[in-house]
Amino acid sequence: MSATRETPSFNRHSSVRPGPIALIREALAEVGSRRRLIQYLVQADLKKKGSDTFLGNLWWVIDPLLQMLVYVILVSVIFVRSTPDYPLFIFAAILPWKWFTSSIGDGISAVVSQDKLIKQIQFPKIVLPFAATVSGIVNFAFGMIPLAILLILFYRDRISPNLLFILPIASVQFTFTLAIALFVSAVNVFFRDLGNVARHVLRLWFYLSPGLYSLTLLEGSSLLRDHPILQTLATANPFAILFTAYRSVIYGTDAPNLPPMAPDWAALGGLLVLSIILLALTTLVFKRLEPSFAKVL
Amino acid sequence: MALPSPIPAAATYAIDADGIGVRYNLRFTKKTTFRQSFSGLLQREDGAKEFWALRDVSFRIVHGESLAVIGPNGAGKSTLLQVLAGIILPSAGSVDVRGQVSSLLTLGAGFDLDLTGRDNILLAGAFLGIDSGEMQRRIRGIVEYADIGDFIDAPIKTYSSGMRARLGFAIATSVDPDILLLDEVLATGDATFRAKSKARVLELVRGAKAIVLVTHDMNWVTEYCNRAILLEKGHVIIEGDPAEVVRVHEERSAKAKAERDAAIAAGRPVA
Repeated sequence: MSATRETPSFNRHSSVRPGPIALIREALAEVGSRRRLIQYLVQADLKKKGSDTFLGNLWWVIDPLLQMLVYVILVSVIFVRSTPDYPLFIFAAILPWKWFTSSIGDGISAVVSQDKLIKQIQFPKIVLPFAATVSGIVNFAFGMIPLAILLILFYRDRISPNLLFILPIASVQFTFTLAIALFVSAVNVFFRDLGNVARHVLRLWFYLSPGLYSLTLLEGSSLLRDHPILQTLATANPFAILFTAYRSVIYGTDAPNLPPMAPDWAALGGLLVLSIILLALTTLVFKRLEPSFAKVL
Repeated sequence: MALPSPIPAAATYAIDADGIGVRYNLRFTKKTTFRQSFSGLLQREDGAKEFWALRDVSFRIVHGESLAVIGPNGAGKSTLLQVLAGIILPSAGSVDVRGQVSSLLTLGAGFDLDLTGRDNILLAGAFLGIDSGEMQRRIRGIVEYADIGDFIDAPIKTYSSGMRARLGFAIATSVDPDILLLDEVLATGDATFRAKSKARVLELVRGAKAIVLVTHDMNWVTEYCNRAILLEKGHVIIEGDPAEVVRVHEERSAKAKAERDAAIAAGRPVA
C-alpha cells in the first residue's frame, strides 16, 4: 500500500528548519512528485472557467479582440496616431499581457482560496501557485486562435516562419511569471489587499511598457534622453524585452516598417537567466513562509 | 542541520510527541491589511504579541490504540491534531508520526463546490497523495458508503450538508490509513449515518490502526477509546484511563462553571 503513495509514510516534524539549498531542493521534489495533483488542479480550474458563462471558453478568443478594438479606437481615432497595421502591432502585446495579468491574478488567490484544505490536509502548498500559472498557459494558447484569424484575414503578408519563435519567447515569459506568482501567492496570505495593489501596479506597468507604442518611440522621448537611468530601466523592463520580442516575430518593426524577424536572443537570454534567479529567490520566500500558512489563514 | 533520525527497529509506537509547543504570532494572525500592519509598526501596542496554543505536550501512542483528546473550547485540541497531521509545524519540541495519516479534520469543508462529487474524490485523493489507479478503484466503495447515488456526477453545491459530511467521511476513512485523525466528526449526519460511521471507526480501531479523536461526546470516550488526554489552555492536565480523565474533566468544568456563575452573581467581569 505504501508503494502506491506519493507521500512519505514516516514524518518527523520538529522546530528545526532546513537551510536555503535544502528548501529549494524540497520544492523541486514536491512539484515533481505531485504532478498528478497539479494536473487535476489545472483541469478543475479550466473546467470551472469554461462553465460559468454563457459563451464559456469562447471568451478567451473574443476578449483579446475586444480589448484590441478599444485600444485601436483610443489611439488611432482619439490621439490620431498612425502606425502601419496598428491592430496587429498592439495585438502582439495584448496577448502576452493578458496571459501575465490573469496568471498573476490567479496566483494571488491560489493559496488563500484553498484555506480550508490547507487547514485540513498536509500537502506541498507550492503546487497551488504552480498549477495556477500552468493553467494560465491555456489562456495564452487560446489567444493564438484570434491571432491566427487576424493574420489570415488581414495581414497575410506578415505571416512567416518567425511565428514559431513565439514558443521560446513564451517559455521565458512563463519562467518570469511563475517567479512572480509564487511570491504574490505567499505574500497575499499575510496582506490580503495585495490584489488591490497589484491591479494598479499592473496597469501602470502596462502603460510604461512598450505595448501600445514601440520601444524606439519611448527611447526617443526627451525625458529618457535626459535621464540615462530611466533609459536603462525602460530597456531592462522585462516586458519591454518580451513585447519587443513578440512584436518582432509577429509584426516586425514599425519605423522603419520591416517584416517579421528573429527576436533579440541576447536580451531574451539575459531575461531568462534573471527569471531563473528570481524564481530561486521567490521559491525560497514561499518555502520560508509556507509553515505559517495554516496558522494565518 | 539535524538529519532525520533512523527508525529504531524496536519502536512500535505510532506517534511520539515530545514536548510540542505551538506559538502563534498575533501580529500576523490578526492583521491582514497593509494599513493595519503599518499602524501596528507605528504604535507598538503593549498587549501580548504571541501566544502558545500548545505548550509542552508529550505523549506516545502505539498502533491499535485509540486516543481521545478532550477539553473546553480553545484548549488547543484541533491545533494538536493539525500538528500530528503535519499541517502545522511545532514551534518547540518534535513529533514523530509513523505510518500513513488521514486527516480530513473538518469533513467536507475542503470540497470544491463547482466540481462534481467524482472530481472531488479524485482531487482529494491527489491531495492526499494516493495513486490515481488506487483511487479509481475506491470510488465505487466511497459512493456506496456515502450513499449519494446519482449525485456523484452533480456539483457538490447541489448536495445537502448531510451528503457533504457523508462523502467527506467516506473519503477520509476509505484511504485505509495507519493513523486516523478525527475532529468532531461523529456529530455529523443523521442518526443512521452516525451509527454507520461509529461502526467504521470501530473497524479501523480493530484493524490495529491508531486513532486520535477530538470529541465532546464523553460516552464515546469511555466506551471506545482506551486512552484519553485532557487539554486546557494548551497544557496537558491529565493523561490516562478514559473514565478517570472524563471524571477529572467533568469536575473541572463544573468548578469553572461555578466560578463563572459566582463571578456573574457578584457582578465581577468574567475572566
